[in-house]
Amino acid sequence: MSRVIRAAVFQTAWTGDKESMIQVHEQAARDAAAQGAQVLCFQELFYGPYFCQVQDKAFYEYAEQIPEGPVVRRFQALAKELGLVLVLPMYEEEQPGVLYNTAAVIDADGSYLGKYRKHHIPQVPGFWEKFYFRPGNVGWPVFDTAVGRIGVYICYDRHFPEGWRALGLAGAEIVFNPSATSRGLSRYLWQLEQPAAAVANEYFIGAINRVGVEDLGDNDFYGTSYFVDPEAQFVGEVASDKETELVVRDLDMAKLREVRDRWQFFRDRRPEAYGPLTAP
Amino acid sequence: MTTIAPEPALSVRQVLTLDRVLAGEPEVVAGASHLDRLVRWVHVAEAADVGVMLSGGEMVLTTGVLLAGDTEAQAEYIRSLHRAEAAAVVLGLGRAFPSPPDVMRRAAERCGLPMVVLHRPFPFAELTEEVQSRLVRRKFAAVSLSEAVRTALTGLITAGAPLQHLLDEVAQHAGCPVVVTNLAHRVLATAGERSAVDDVLRDWERIARQAGGNEGDGWVRAELGGRGERWGRIVLCGYRGDTATGRLLADRAAEALVLHRMLGGSAHSWEEESAQSLLTDLISGIVPARQLLPRARAAGLPVNRRTFVPLVVRDGDPAGLDRVLRMVGLPGLVAELAEGATAVLLSLARDQDAEALTAHFATRLRSESGAGNTVVAAADARTAWEDVPAGLREAQHVADAVAQSAAGLDLPVVVRLRDVHLRGLVRLLRDDPYVQAFAERELDGLLCGDRHAEQDLLPVLRTYLASGRNKSRTAQLHHVSRPALYRRLEAIETRLGVDLDDFEQAASVHIALLAHDAQQG
Repeated sequence: MSRVIRAAVFQTAWTGDKESMIQVHEQAARDAAAQGAQVLCFQELFYGPYFCQVQDKAFYEYAEQIPEGPVVRRFQALAKELGLVLVLPMYEEEQPGVLYNTAAVIDADGSYLGKYRKHHIPQVPGFWEKFYFRPGNVGWPVFDTAVGRIGVYICYDRHFPEGWRALGLAGAEIVFNPSATSRGLSRYLWQLEQPAAAVANEYFIGAINRVGVEDLGDNDFYGTSYFVDPEAQFVGEVASDKETELVVRDLDMAKLREVRDRWQFFRDRRPEAYGPLTAP
Repeated sequence: MTTIAPEPALSVRQVLTLDRVLAGEPEVVAGASHLDRLVRWVHVAEAADVGVMLSGGEMVLTTGVLLAGDTEAQAEYIRSLHRAEAAAVVLGLGRAFPSPPDVMRRAAERCGLPMVVLHRPFPFAELTEEVQSRLVRRKFAAVSLSEAVRTALTGLITAGAPLQHLLDEVAQHAGCPVVVTNLAHRVLATAGERSAVDDVLRDWERIARQAGGNEGDGWVRAELGGRGERWGRIVLCGYRGDTATGRLLADRAAEALVLHRMLGGSAHSWEEESAQSLLTDLISGIVPARQLLPRARAAGLPVNRRTFVPLVVRDGDPAGLDRVLRMVGLPGLVAELAEGATAVLLSLARDQDAEALTAHFATRLRSESGAGNTVVAAADARTAWEDVPAGLREAQHVADAVAQSAAGLDLPVVVRLRDVHLRGLVRLLRDDPYVQAFAERELDGLLCGDRHAEQDLLPVLRTYLASGRNKSRTAQLHHVSRPALYRRLEAIETRLGVDLDDFEQAASVHIALLAHDAQQG
C-alpha cells in the first residue's frame, strides 16, 4: 500500500477585516480536517487584503512576528487540536522596518517547524512588493512534517526555476505555491509554470490563488487553485475562478517514485557545468 | 446529414483523372510521391518568372515556349515554382518541347514538385474551365453549408431553444458526437448517437487532455469565449468529413453557443443544466445507472472507489449549495429537481466517514445560508454506483415527508428515513394500489366531492390527529371555539363512521390521511 497524503489548499476573497479573515481560515482548517486532510496551505498574505496594489505604510501593521506573533500562536493551537499540518503565508516583521513575505510551517502537533521567506520580490503595477518586503534570506528549507517533506515557494518566486530545483534537491515531496495573481497579468502562465516545475522536479505542487477584486485596486484575482502531480496532471479538478473553495486531494506518493524511476533528472543534471548560472 | 457537405478539395491526382485532362494523355514525370497536394487554383502562364506571381497551391500550365533552349532558365523556372509553393506544373508537349525536358524533370524531382507532361495538344482553357468551376462550386458549397448551419442555429437561438437543441442540430450536421466542455474539461453537454457519445465519454479524461488538437484524426475543436475571456470549447469527436468542413461546422457551432450564452437563454448555467439532466436521468431510472457512469465522470464527479451520499435539500437554492460545497471542499453534483427541492450527490473517499461529513455539510449549510430551517434529507451512503438512483429516490421521499410535517417534528440537522417514522413509510408506499385504496376507503366520507367537507373538515381532522388529539390546541390553531370544534369533530365522525376516541380507529384514519397527503406531494 503506497503512502497517500490527503492535502488541501484554500482560496478565498478578502472579507474586509483581519479578524473575520482569520476566522474564515480557521473554519477552512476545520472543514479540511473533517475530510481527513493532513496538510493545508492558505493563500499568500492570507489574513490580509493584497495591499501591494498600493504603496501605503499603513499596511506595515499587518506584519507579525514569526513564530512569536498572535496569528502563529493561534494556528499552532488549531493545528494541534485538528492534527493538521498548516502552512501559513503571512507578512513577517523580524524587527521594526525589517519585513518579509513569509510562510510559517506548523506541524500536526502544533509545533513550529520554521519559515520560508520569499526570494523574488516583484515591482510592477499592481504588485508593488519592494515597498513592503526585503528579499528572502533563509535559503530553501524543506520541512520534515508529520505527513511528508514539504517546501514553500511564494507567488512571484514561481517564475524562477532555480528555487523549484533547490527544493527538489532538498527532498521536497509537495511544494506549496501560495499566490495572489491577477487575471490580465498571469492567467496564461498559471497552468503552465507550476505543472512544468512539477515535471522538472518530479514532485507534487499545490498552487493557491486568492479570488475576487479588492477595493485597493483593479487586480482580478482568479483563484483556480489546484494540485498537480509529477506528470503535470491536475489531481482532480481545478478550483473555481471566482468562489471561495477548499481543495482536498489525495496525493499518491507512489506516483513520485514511479516518475523518478522513469526519468533520472536528478542523476543526470550537471551542476559542475552550471557555474555561469550563479555568476553575479 | 441535412445539408450537402462541400465537395472535398481537388488534389493533383484527382485533377489528372478528370476526363478532359485524360484526353491530353498526362504523364507524371517527376514528384510522383506528392500527387496528393491540394490544388487551390489553376493558372496558365508563359512568363519565365511566373514564380513571383503565385501565392501557393496553384497548378501552373505552360507550353514552355520561353524556356526552350535555355537549360539554366528551365531549372530556375522549376525552382521558382517550388519557392512559390506551387502545387504542380503541367507542360504541354509539342510547341516548345517535343519530349519531357530532362533538366526540368530532374529539377522538379529534386524539389519534390509534381511535374506532368501532356502528350497530346490540348487547349488549356478547357482544363482551367473544368477545374476552376469545380473549385468555385466547392467554395460555394462551403459558403452555402456555413449559411445553412448559421441560419438553423440562429433560428433556434431566437426561438429560445435550450443548449441541447443547438447541439442536436450541430450533431445532425456533423454526423458524429459533439461535446461541450468548460476549461477544466468538465463535460457540460453532449449530442449525437447515444452509444457513440458514451464511447467518447468513457475515456474522456485522457482524450480531453491530449494537447493541441490534431484535426487530422477528425477531432475538431473550437474555443468558446467572448469579451476577452475563454470559458469552454466545443469538440466534434471523430468527424468523418474533410477537415475544412469540420472546421467550418465547429466554428459556426462555437459562434452560436457564445451567442446563446451571452443572450442568457436560460436561468441556469450550463454546468447546472448538465448536472440537472444527469441527476434527473439517474432518479428516473429510465437509463440504467451503469450507462450514466461515463457522463458522471465526465461531469467532474470522482467515481472510482468512492462512497456516494444522495441528499435532497429543501429550500436551498442550487447556486448557494454549490457555493457551500466548494467552501467545504466536498466534490458533488447539485441540481434542482423541483421547486424547492435540490438534489446533491456527494462523492467521498472510501475511508471518509460519510455520516459525519454529511452532518458537517448540513451544519455548514445552515450557518452559511443563514437559514436555520434548511432541511437536508439523506439516504444511506452507497458504495455501488448502481445503488445511487434508489438512494436519490429515498432522499427525495424523506424530503417530501419532511416538507409536509416540518412543523410537527423536532428534526435533526440531517433527516433520514428513520427520522420521519410512519410518515416516511407511508411516503415510500404511496404508489401501492392497496395503500391508495385503503386511504380512499377510510376517508371516503370526507372526500366525496363535498367542498365543505374537504375545505373545512379535512384540515381540522389533520390538525387534531397531528396534535395527538389535543382539542384545545386544535381549536386554537383553527381559531374556533371549543363547542364549534366539537361540532366539527362530530360531523367528521359521522361522515367517516368512526369513533376518534378509539385509538385504533383514530390511528387508521391518521394513516389514511398521511397516505392521502402523500399522494398530493
